[in-house]
Amino acid sequence: MISAAIVVVVLATLLIGARGVVAIRSTSDFLVASRRISPTLNAAAVSGEYLSAASFLGVAGLVVKDGIGALWYPVGFTAGYIAMLALVAAPMRRTGALTVPDFAEARLGSSGLRKLSAVVVLVIATLYLVPQFKAAGLVLTVAGGTPYWVGVVVAGAAVSITLALGGMRAATYVQAFQFGLKMLLFIVPAIWLVLTVSETTRSEALSPVEFTRFERRTPVEFRLDTELTITEPTAVTVAGGQPAVLAPGHYTALAGSEWVFEKGADVPSVAGGFAPGGDGWGRPLLDAGSGYPVLTTWSVLVATVLGTMGLPHIIVRFHTSPDGRGARRTASITVVLLSAFYLFPAVYGLLGTVLLPELFLSGGTDTVVVELPARVDSGWAGTFFTALLTAGAFAAFLATSLGLLLALSGAVSHDLLPGTTVRRLRFTTLLAAAIVVALALPAVHLDVGVLVTSAFAVAASTFCPLLVLGIWWPRLTARGAVVGIVVGLGSSAGVIAIDLFIGAPPGLAALLLGQPALWSVPLAFLTMVLVSLRGRPPAWANAAMLRLHLDETERSAHRE
Amino acid sequence: MTRLKRVAVASPQTRLALARRRTGMRAELPHLAPADAERARRIHHAQLRKALVAVGLLGAMIIGLPLLLAAFPALDEVRVAGVPVSWLAVAVLPYPLLVVLSRWQLHRAERTERGR
Repeated sequence: MISAAIVVVVLATLLIGARGVVAIRSTSDFLVASRRISPTLNAAAVSGEYLSAASFLGVAGLVVKDGIGALWYPVGFTAGYIAMLALVAAPMRRTGALTVPDFAEARLGSSGLRKLSAVVVLVIATLYLVPQFKAAGLVLTVAGGTPYWVGVVVAGAAVSITLALGGMRAATYVQAFQFGLKMLLFIVPAIWLVLTVSETTRSEALSPVEFTRFERRTPVEFRLDTELTITEPTAVTVAGGQPAVLAPGHYTALAGSEWVFEKGADVPSVAGGFAPGGDGWGRPLLDAGSGYPVLTTWSVLVATVLGTMGLPHIIVRFHTSPDGRGARRTASITVVLLSAFYLFPAVYGLLGTVLLPELFLSGGTDTVVVELPARVDSGWAGTFFTALLTAGAFAAFLATSLGLLLALSGAVSHDLLPGTTVRRLRFTTLLAAAIVVALALPAVHLDVGVLVTSAFAVAASTFCPLLVLGIWWPRLTARGAVVGIVVGLGSSAGVIAIDLFIGAPPGLAALLLGQPALWSVPLAFLTMVLVSLRGRPPAWANAAMLRLHLDETERSAHRE
Repeated sequence: MTRLKRVAVASPQTRLALARRRTGMRAELPHLAPADAERARRIHHAQLRKALVAVGLLGAMIIGLPLLLAAFPALDEVRVAGVPVSWLAVAVLPYPLLVVLSRWQLHRAERTERGR
């Protein structure tokens, strides 16, 4: 039933995609066809593309793992559209640019800057894609009971087939449909869950207690080698062996092994993890073990709010608006649609903390959304809603991944390699999908939400200053933009890489390296401004900037 | 259903850049008529002011709310309909504020564009 639901989602998407493609083919020009699309439909399409597996699964998982503070992520995801509305939506649409590299060339006339921007698109899209594939792999693992790598490969195959069958993404209708679908598949199960769980569970969800004792016989399947510390004799069956009582001490649970903890057993502690519901879990700030909750929260918010405007798969959507005014309206309606959706991850997070707290042991909190229905109801209803949520998560994965893959291969084949053909665009897309699958395989222990945030941090430290200064400041020079982007890229992506591969000492360093946006964004802005001030913009720079602020319909007949 | 030829869609900038790369031709320089330039300068100035106010309010909210919640941990204990107030401040409160702010800024930007 669950795999049937996924197949239905893929087929429905393809079908609507095919209809949309016909509609576009019958009009000679995609850009002319786009003028009929209303801001509301376009906003639904933007939201459909934007609500990724990270929103559908990741936020609720982070609530179980890190606490109420994780709910700041969706606030930032939504607020980003206000920054977009106020600063970039309308002028960006007027440049006629589909991508940031396009914008860079249109505004600053530098092909070197175009290439550099394309490299940044590559970095952002990869950082955003890997967690999508990881989430899809996990969902299929939970649904089908297969190993993780099978899930990731199947997800990659699904994307490749959808692309090969005709790039469903071309149509705005597909994304708008995807938004409606995700909204329905997320909200209906949430309401069912709240109504089905017992009164006690509901009140426990609102005053959680620390998870210290297993309330029932609980199997825990470890995805990675995990260090456990046991402080009291604990009754447990390790990896299908004989039931035993483990003496206090340190143990290692091997990846792929299943430990069954007896009812009433003490919950072991995990290196680098905290039991849900404990001290600080209920605090509405993001700590992530750094000890600086306010700074960490700010840093995540700066990254998500300012990074939204630089996401390659979102910018291209705004081009479907007929003019600058339409783009602005689209951004404004998107805020409303996202606000409705993001009221619900908290429901899954809170119920998951009470009903599935053991997920923190195995590092599998990302699957809390799809595991909840079966935990609440073991009959057909549980299976039915699991199927709905799995289908929704897969729809979220498909929509975002296809958009990003096309943006990524567009950057490679248009901007980085000379000449272009449709055939190569398709080949690049498949190659990119294969590379992302390869990167997602070792990424199983990374949080979906956290990786997505680093994509936002890179976008905020590179494209945000380029777009904002390019649109509002006539003195920006191409050299200033290049140096600023290089500094921003190094201080966001470079620093996150250090944190991932080498590891930072805990405390302030972990915050500065793991969530660099708070300092890397101002640094990138400052670099761009200072380097630009040392040079001179060309004589036409003023006109290049000013024309972005003129309403298309009211411009004089004189055109280039 | 007749089968039409598939056409690659690219933005005008991409098409220009690709054409230039092939022919080595320079792009036409941006140009504005004097009357347009004057009006654009006025609109740019007014829009910048309004955008900065909106972004400032947004900044005040996302900087101020976490600070407020850090400064008053007692809000965790106050409950409305069983839910801690500090949780509502993250999970629910921001969204209506964001919707109102986006509507407000949209109206102001459109009014400025029409030149009042």
